[in-house]
Amino acid sequence: MSDNAHAPAAPGAEPSNAHGHAAHDDKFYIRIWGILLVLLVVSVIGPELGIRVVTLITAFGIAIVKAYLVLKNFMHIGVEKKYVAYLLITMVALMVLMVGGVGPDVLRHDGHRWSNVAAKKTVEEGLKAGGGHDAHGGEHKAGEKPAEPAPAH
Amino acid sequence: MSTAAHAEQDHAHGHAHHDEGFIKKYLWSTDHKMIAMQYLFTGMAMALIGGFTVYAFRMQLAFPGMSVPGYGRVTATDYNALVTTHGSVMIFWVAMPVLIAALGNYLIPLMIGCDDMVFPRLNRLSYQLFLISSIVLIASFYVPGGAFGGAWTSYPPLSAKAEYSLTGLGSSMWLLAVALEFAAFLLGGINFVTTVMNSRAPGMKMFDVPIVVWMIIIASILFMASVGPLIAGAVMLLFDQQIGTGFFDPAKGGDPVLWQHLFWFFGHPEVYVVLLPAMGIVAEIITVFSRKKLFAYKTVLYTAIGTGVLSFFVWAHHQFIAGIDPRMANVFSVTTLLISIPVAEMVFVYIGTLYGGSIRLTTPMLWALSFIAEFLLGGVTGIFLGASGSDIYFHDTYFVIAHFHYTFFPIAFIGSFAAITYWFPKMFGKMMNETWGKVHFWGTIISFNFIFIPLFFLGARGDHRRIYDYRHFPDLMKAGMQDMRILATLALLVLLAFQVVFLVNFFYSLFKGAKAPANPWEANTLEWQAPSPPPHGNFPQGLPNVYRGPYEYSHPDRQADWWPQTEPEPTKS
Repeated sequence: MSDNAHAPAAPGAEPSNAHGHAAHDDKFYIRIWGILLVLLVVSVIGPELGIRVVTLITAFGIAIVKAYLVLKNFMHIGVEKKYVAYLLITMVALMVLMVGGVGPDVLRHDGHRWSNVAAKKTVEEGLKAGGGHDAHGGEHKAGEKPAEPAPAH
Repeated sequence: MSTAAHAEQDHAHGHAHHDEGFIKKYLWSTDHKMIAMQYLFTGMAMALIGGFTVYAFRMQLAFPGMSVPGYGRVTATDYNALVTTHGSVMIFWVAMPVLIAALGNYLIPLMIGCDDMVFPRLNRLSYQLFLISSIVLIASFYVPGGAFGGAWTSYPPLSAKAEYSLTGLGSSMWLLAVALEFAAFLLGGINFVTTVMNSRAPGMKMFDVPIVVWMIIIASILFMASVGPLIAGAVMLLFDQQIGTGFFDPAKGGDPVLWQHLFWFFGHPEVYVVLLPAMGIVAEIITVFSRKKLFAYKTVLYTAIGTGVLSFFVWAHHQFIAGIDPRMANVFSVTTLLISIPVAEMVFVYIGTLYGGSIRLTTPMLWALSFIAEFLLGGVTGIFLGASGSDIYFHDTYFVIAHFHYTFFPIAFIGSFAAITYWFPKMFGKMMNETWGKVHFWGTIISFNFIFIPLFFLGARGDHRRIYDYRHFPDLMKAGMQDMRILATLALLVLLAFQVVFLVNFFYSLFKGAKAPANPWEANTLEWQAPSPPPHGNFPQGLPNVYRGPYEYSHPDRQADWWPQTEPEPTKS
């Protein structure tokens, strides 16, 4: 099948650069491996110093650099079409989005069992600041309509 | 393209020129059209299961305690399993296989002018995994405890413990089936994207690709980008069920809301995963049958991409009353209301396309028009649920069910019927009967509205969903409420009865229908330039060249009101 798939790319299709760069020699991969090894040593020594900022940079910062090198060179993203890289970056962005959205509910969950104490406290503070009725149901005067609860306006 | 892709192609090439046995041809085929048929027929069979389950549990709601003809008495556990199976089957085993897998497989190679998918064996594996997932799901009805009864969203802690759901093995089989199904669609999605990127016919630029193909591609990317967290979540839930971990169990320090986040991070983009192909189908049909160029090709494309991007920012609107951080509720209300803008824009574009066209009211066109009308109702009622203030009242009422079905029924059924009636001549080389097609259309659309409009009113009166027998809840049996439930159920029976008309028309036309010409609708896109049905390899006269976009209808310089993509420019003398 697919004679046309073997044919030169259709006009408008992105030019493929996948084949031109496919073969790096062994030296290239050994060099990358060497760099990774050096980075590993730095990421082990860094946290040993006991300085918070240095620990963060050497632990997480270097991990990101190493991941980048592996993706680019060992997983060949460097020679793939550009949209593959864009797709990967999108995936990372989505991951950040998901963790960001889920975080407020599950990461700083100060309460026990089903009760999210931190969120409740924020609501109470918000109600006080907004001049709403207090969350514990203070007495309303007869005939006075209680204000609606705060969320979503 | 990678070496693997070439290998796949070389393999498939060998099949084109010799006769194949029954198994090779129908069950073990790598031909994209045959795989599409496998998905289509499996999806149709699963729709029968989905239809039967809703028949059984709606009868229980309308006439509680009665012995349902063809099923027997619906116990509380049965009810849970039936509702769960109905939801899961209709979304995962009907809407997705028919709209994405069947139509994607069938249409992509034909519409972009190549002879098969770039990974035919991956394609075959995709269907085989899907088939296994269907079998696992059906088998779960026959294990001790029966099929899973924790709703299609499978919220823990209900789903995490056998003592709560009462369906220990059924729950795990449900999870396994869903995970297998997702793996199948991942394989399919990779195939779709790669094929469109690499195998377009010579001359076909990105903006010459028909909208439905674009929509399937965007949907595939959305699916691939959103499904990861849910597969991870499914494994965690399986561990909770089977080896006693506590990811979602508050008693062990877990958090049930985490599952909801993982589920809906996939679950909401999933709505657009099935919506976009349906929107694409409608775009193809309304341009052909109004004999007009699509009003704004690039606008549709960009709004579809915009919808896809925004769909990742709305998931927590399903969780407004689940105990999520209320600050997040505000954010998600805003994003949810925002997403209605690109979707509304697409609807406007379609109305703009229809405006001033020479409309031909064929059966597929009726389906396409009804899609726009019914989906609009679904979209508008979604605004009430997207705003967290009103959702606090409406949540878990029948209003949600009515809204959901006003979006999903148009997507899964109206969209599928539109597609099947439109592409049937190409798929099988036979014409469907128009009269019976229209009888089926009107019977389905009228009864559909009679089912779900009452549910809006019930929901507005606070009718809680997830209730097995309303006689235990006097507040929900007040004047007229049970009557509305009975009305909805009777309308459902009518709707199901009219599907027999469709099935008879489908199979009768398949064997005895009038022979279809290659291009019965006078359409421009490439699939109509292939014979009906297309042989293995699609274009026996040679792969086509493309000279223009897919929607050149009623061009002022031409006598004919269509202009196929393959027709060269006339030479000027």
